[in-house]
Amino acid sequence: MTGAVAGAIDRLGLERRKIGLADAALGAWIALLVAVTAYGAATTAGFLTWSNAKAILTATAFVGIIAVGLTVIVLSGNLFSLALGQTAAISAMVFLYSLRIDLGAAIVLTLLLGLAIGAVQGFAVGAWGANPIVVTIGAAGLMEGMAVWLSHGESIVPPSGATSWERLAQPVLGLPAPVYVFLVVTALLVVVMRRTRFGRQIYLLGENRVAARAAALPITLLTVGAFAIASLYTAGSGILIGATSANASLLLTGSYTYDAIAAALVGGNAVTGGRGSIARTATGAIFIATISDMLLLRGYSTGVQILVRGIIVLVVVVLTNLRSRSR
Amino acid sequence: MSGERDSVAAPESRSPGVEETLPVLEVVGVSKSYGPVRAVRELSLDVRVGEVHAVCGHNGAGKSTLVKMLVGLVRPDEGVIRFDGAELSLRNPQEAQAHGIALVNQELSLVPELSVEANIFLGGIDVPLFYRRRRLSDQARAVLDQLGLAHIQLGTLVESLSIGERQLVEIARLLVRNARLLILDEPTATLSKPEIERVFRATRDLVRQGRSVIFVSHRLDEVFELCHRVSVLRDGMRVGTHDVHEIDRRSLIDLMLGEMAGTRTRVKHEHARPGRDAEAVRVHRLNVPGSVEDVSLTLERGIITGLAGQVGSGTSTVLRALGGLEPEARGTIEVEGRPVRLSTPRRAAAAGVLYISNDRQREGLFLGQSVEENLTVQRLRRLSRLGVLLQRRVQQTARELAAIAGIPADRLGAPVASLSGGNQQKVLLSRALRLDGVALLALDEPTRGVDVGGRSEIHNLIRETARNGTAVVFASTELDEVLDLADVVVTLFHGRVVSVVPRAEASASAILADMTTSDRGQRGAAT
Repeated sequence: MTGAVAGAIDRLGLERRKIGLADAALGAWIALLVAVTAYGAATTAGFLTWSNAKAILTATAFVGIIAVGLTVIVLSGNLFSLALGQTAAISAMVFLYSLRIDLGAAIVLTLLLGLAIGAVQGFAVGAWGANPIVVTIGAAGLMEGMAVWLSHGESIVPPSGATSWERLAQPVLGLPAPVYVFLVVTALLVVVMRRTRFGRQIYLLGENRVAARAAALPITLLTVGAFAIASLYTAGSGILIGATSANASLLLTGSYTYDAIAAALVGGNAVTGGRGSIARTATGAIFIATISDMLLLRGYSTGVQILVRGIIVLVVVVLTNLRSRSR
Repeated sequence: MSGERDSVAAPESRSPGVEETLPVLEVVGVSKSYGPVRAVRELSLDVRVGEVHAVCGHNGAGKSTLVKMLVGLVRPDEGVIRFDGAELSLRNPQEAQAHGIALVNQELSLVPELSVEANIFLGGIDVPLFYRRRRLSDQARAVLDQLGLAHIQLGTLVESLSIGERQLVEIARLLVRNARLLILDEPTATLSKPEIERVFRATRDLVRQGRSVIFVSHRLDEVFELCHRVSVLRDGMRVGTHDVHEIDRRSLIDLMLGEMAGTRTRVKHEHARPGRDAEAVRVHRLNVPGSVEDVSLTLERGIITGLAGQVGSGTSTVLRALGGLEPEARGTIEVEGRPVRLSTPRRAAAAGVLYISNDRQREGLFLGQSVEENLTVQRLRRLSRLGVLLQRRVQQTARELAAIAGIPADRLGAPVASLSGGNQQKVLLSRALRLDGVALLALDEPTRGVDVGGRSEIHNLIRETARNGTAVVFASTELDEVLDLADVVVTLFHGRVVSVVPRAEASASAILADMTTSDRGQRGAAT
């Protein structure tokens, strides 16, 4: 399924670049996944229904928004951010808390906060050459501490009486609003990465940082931009998560960091940067949600779902890595 | 292995260059071709016990192929290598080392994070895990003392040593493995004066003990100072072996150049004359710690300045400093009369200096990205409006540049890694062509790894850029390239400018003399 969708995306010209002919092993693995998914789709009761499709898309939306934002960091060659879950949680909390001003202000404030959180991390990585993993783990700890301190460890709930925020979680034409947001912001980022100078320079930076420096690309600015976008998208997802669950705490977004990374990896983006695309990540996110949904419908436990997801990620990462090394 | 040393016992008092000692190494009629290129042709050579034997030759003369054959990195197509009278057929460097032949080159095989002692024994098969450590330590100590490293503790981490000391530790590592023929490949290129002295002293001690050394160097002073005999290679052949007392520098250079010595007057292209008051960039007393000392240059519009110098002479560093890649550089640089600080590549580019690295894989190209993207990397700002790329103009620009560089237009979408080395180099260079606002183009080894045809095409591109009014400066270790391309030849040796000569007055032998010797001092200082 990943392959088929990615192939279709290639033909439509949405994909920025072709990753080249898939290595035989990777092709076999994708074929296996597609076959298993098709088999599951045909034999799982209730899978091929409109309501289940809606459920899959809904499940994809929150993580999907974070994952496509994260992809900019991956493409820039800065590995991952491990602070995404915390950023989402703190964004949800700030959003619900600042609803007492007014909905628009709450949204703007939260997004600006997200942007700033990412920009600071990006500056540390870009200007000082700090390791992105270390920086983002540090940022995650800092955010967690601040969140617990300021909220006294309690969940944040929307102010009583205000209802304007509920619109953010309500269905529009049968689909929850976050699904539309996911599709729109993904399309937007596809265009940014493909059509802007920033997008092209991110690919070049991710491909070869030393050459990018010698070619006088604005490395600090690009890195700040990559982390700011990832964090901005995560804050946006945090707003939707807060609005959907109507209360926010650190527990809310526990596995989102790893889910977003998994989506980027399953999509086949090169861990080392420079190769991959936003569309790939979106495909990866939808694919993971599909598999989880199928396992759920067949009555497997959460543990099995996590295990299967882990195996898929592992094999794809090993195979894409081998392939890029063989070139 | 240990018994063999007795058989070659050399008298302690033996004076250098004595004739009657036995050869430890004999190379007889060895040839090696890489495809159509005949790197070494029917070469014969012998190295005596207790001798420092210099191997000299200009770039491409076959020195490195010879060295590689001696240490088992390359197998000769024909011919025989004898060591101690026995024929050798080496398949890898480990076998060479087992016979007692060891190579020291600039890429040392030490682990910086480990101690001196650990490095000396690293990879040794018979190092016991627990006992007899003491005896090994004593052995390491003795070898270090012998190499003049008495001041260094066994537990010192290699990363805290100077490069010269590291080189000696590497030699120590080889000595405990009973190396009897040491090949020193350009050992002094990266060393300071006192470090060179130390390496020389150690080398003299080694041969006094009956070991032998092959000394590959571009520095003729050092050849005369250290070596007993010198063999000169040219075009893959040995053109002569002489006792250093029987030959002078002049004839040595003539031997290295052969026919090229006469190229003084053979100017193949029209060269512009400098001195037209078209000053673009002035470099005044540029210093980069450990590499460049007081280099001053004036680079004019429309003039191609060639920096001639061997590896380690500082030519690359001068260009890197211009490109903003040497943060420790000190001195003043003026671009069109304005003083600028070129502390980062971005500052350099903003000031109008464009630098192209000599390492196209690592620091030049974006190998996995398309030819189009590589061609346009330096001008994306001009090809976008409000940050949005103007797709048609991007494609059109890439097509134009590809046409200039002679790269087929149908390859624009292909990853640049899929092109040949020559075409890759053209892509790298072309991204700097036809750019407005560039005062100076700084090219480090612009034709490295490019065949003859590609080379002349690249030279034409560079000439055209200069004709359009850009100042061009390039560095090259190859005399041919300097003579072919440069309008002004600036020769560097050991971080200093030795001579500045307009091409019409330049001769191959004078430049080679400047590239290989220091005793002239600073002659005809830069303007």
